[in-house]
Amino acid sequence: MKITAGILRSTAIVMALTTGIAKAADLTWMGSSYAEPANKPAVERMIAGFKTSSGLTAEPLGFAWGDMQKNIFLKARSNTLPEIVQLQERWLPTVANLKTLVDLNTVFGKEKLEATFAPDALALGNIGGHQWGLPVFSGTVGMVANKAVLDQAGVAVPKTVDEFKAALIAIRDKVPNSVPYPMATKNNGSIVLDFMIWNWVYGGRIIDDDGKVVIESDASRAALSFAVDLVKERLAAPEIDRPDSRRLTAQGQAGFYIDAPVTRTFLRDFSGKGEAFDENVLPMPMPVLKGGDKPVSVLWGHILSMFAPDAKVELDAPASKFLSYATSDEMQTDFPLALSALPTTKSARAAVANDAYLTNWAKAAGDARPNEVGIWSNAAELNQIVGEEVQAAILGQKSVDDAIGAMQARLSDSMAKAKQEN
Amino acid sequence: MAGNTIRDYPISPLASRRGLKGGQSRIGLLLLLPAAIAFTAVILYPFAQALGLSLFEYTIEMSAPRFIGFANFVNIAGSPDVWAAFVTTAVYVSLATTGTLVLGLGWALLMNQPFRGRAALRSLSLLPWVLPSTVSAFIWAWIFNSRYGVLNALLIELGLVDVPQAWLSTPQGAMLAVILTKIWLSIPLFMSFFLAGLQSLDKEQIDAARVDGAGNWPVLRDHILPHLRPVLIIVIVLGIIGNLQQFDTIYALTQGGPVRATTVLSVEVYKRAFEQWDIGFASAIGVLWVATLLPPAYFYLRMLVKGN
Repeated sequence: MKITAGILRSTAIVMALTTGIAKAADLTWMGSSYAEPANKPAVERMIAGFKTSSGLTAEPLGFAWGDMQKNIFLKARSNTLPEIVQLQERWLPTVANLKTLVDLNTVFGKEKLEATFAPDALALGNIGGHQWGLPVFSGTVGMVANKAVLDQAGVAVPKTVDEFKAALIAIRDKVPNSVPYPMATKNNGSIVLDFMIWNWVYGGRIIDDDGKVVIESDASRAALSFAVDLVKERLAAPEIDRPDSRRLTAQGQAGFYIDAPVTRTFLRDFSGKGEAFDENVLPMPMPVLKGGDKPVSVLWGHILSMFAPDAKVELDAPASKFLSYATSDEMQTDFPLALSALPTTKSARAAVANDAYLTNWAKAAGDARPNEVGIWSNAAELNQIVGEEVQAAILGQKSVDDAIGAMQARLSDSMAKAKQEN
Repeated sequence: MAGNTIRDYPISPLASRRGLKGGQSRIGLLLLLPAAIAFTAVILYPFAQALGLSLFEYTIEMSAPRFIGFANFVNIAGSPDVWAAFVTTAVYVSLATTGTLVLGLGWALLMNQPFRGRAALRSLSLLPWVLPSTVSAFIWAWIFNSRYGVLNALLIELGLVDVPQAWLSTPQGAMLAVILTKIWLSIPLFMSFFLAGLQSLDKEQIDAARVDGAGNWPVLRDHILPHLRPVLIIVIVLGIIGNLQQFDTIYALTQGGPVRATTVLSVEVYKRAFEQWDIGFASAIGVLWVATLLPPAYFYLRMLVKGN
């Protein structure tokens, strides 16, 4: 009996202690930026600033970008979702299914949000009129060049696809051990983004605005053939994911790659040169098929979403105060810039209009379109299908025709199933 | 007094009816309790829940699971991806188990020979077993890396290849890599079993065979292997169970790729549950995965209970 009583006493003490720890902060903030060494200091500044301005405390919780969706889902299943979660905009259609997600129009008011945020940024967190998140930094996903490598190869920034390929060949031949264009060939999420952009360059679409799968086209076949040829000609390489592209570029072994503007902060970190590396980071318009075509890019950004047990939160709740602080001018002129991304509020964008890098990035964006795969509720499955089929073609396991045909069939099945469930 | 039996002595009213053993079994149960609670909370309850969820449709788009009976299992029967995962699992388990068996036995025979530094080498042999499996996986990922890998550097140095090879980007290369990693991890365990078995081998019997002119192969075939038969069976069964359960090294090394080349059942369950958010379908695959584990587990438990 004494042993049993001892066990019970210990359990009670442990529970009391852990409950106390759980309530030590006024709210918990969960995001990928906190898990990235290059961006962690900026998050810590935000947390500290929030404490100074409001007297409230926020406990940061970091997960690697690739693990965020899994952890959100697991925490939702165990009812332990934190109050504030940082999301990439393309995860929102999936996360919006969670019943504890708060519509922020009901907290801050639609008019006030529209008056505060730039329309393109606010749209990142909006689905069907519900404001599921407030944008915290934004931009586009497009092409970036390494000036030092271009100089070494003696090439200028290419404007067309033909010029781009000629530049890649020059880099391959003149820069030893280089991967001229570290296109994503590993990790479905990264492969989809790169393929989607090249598919647009060639005039193709994967899924149209009505949800119809339209990948089976000559344009998409040409885009995939282009990607396959790049690997065959050693202008791109297998086993490359976005972090590999960043590291190769930072080490002077890559000429071009596709990324978001936050790439500059990663390059500063990975090169070990800090801001001295900035002169090599050239945002450039995506090459076009023929002169006169408009360069394309993908709308991109991160949002902060709020979760509450009954999906209702008052304006004076700690979580609401945190969102107000994270999107205040004080933070919007610091946090996005530290991450090398565009602020999201109108006033903050005006205040940073003289930032040359961000201005050049915005100029290079051209025709910025929403992620045509990520906007659907079954985006996770769509990503896997496109990623697998593109990878199969790139690695020579399937012909381009077979991969495109399989994509059309599998994506159509997935979309039909999703429509049935909705 | 000489004719008295133990029943004739008075028994204290405070004594337990079940005697000293009663107290022992209570202590035994109490000591078992933490493990039983942990087992129930961490294994039994989630398994029972997964078993139940296999009969439901439950995706992230749904607020609550919907009962669909055996529909998930019917869908599995018609899913080429899941069948491919079964085949991949079979290939992985058979090659990894066979490879570890052969190399583990060979290494044990070597470590059983008297030579200088044997004790140190035996201790070093346990290193792969001591290292966390994900650390081992990353070491092997570095060895096979197409740009910085040791293997490519060695082959280029020897003039066997001109340009670095992307080993993990071919189905065969990726499968070979995950199998080699698992073999490397498992050799110490297999070797320990075999070494223990070899300690009880009658040396005089081997010497007699040698005097009769038996070479290495006949000695191994006719004397050592029959002696190690019980150990061999245990090791094979444990190897099959361990390889059927394998997830971390495969996921850390290839994430089931390229495309789906190394997607074994454990990786398939993970992908369905945490990449496609289809918990019902993932649970159904998990149930079938457990079913594949049952025959070797039953065989192993039966041997343990029978004291073999």
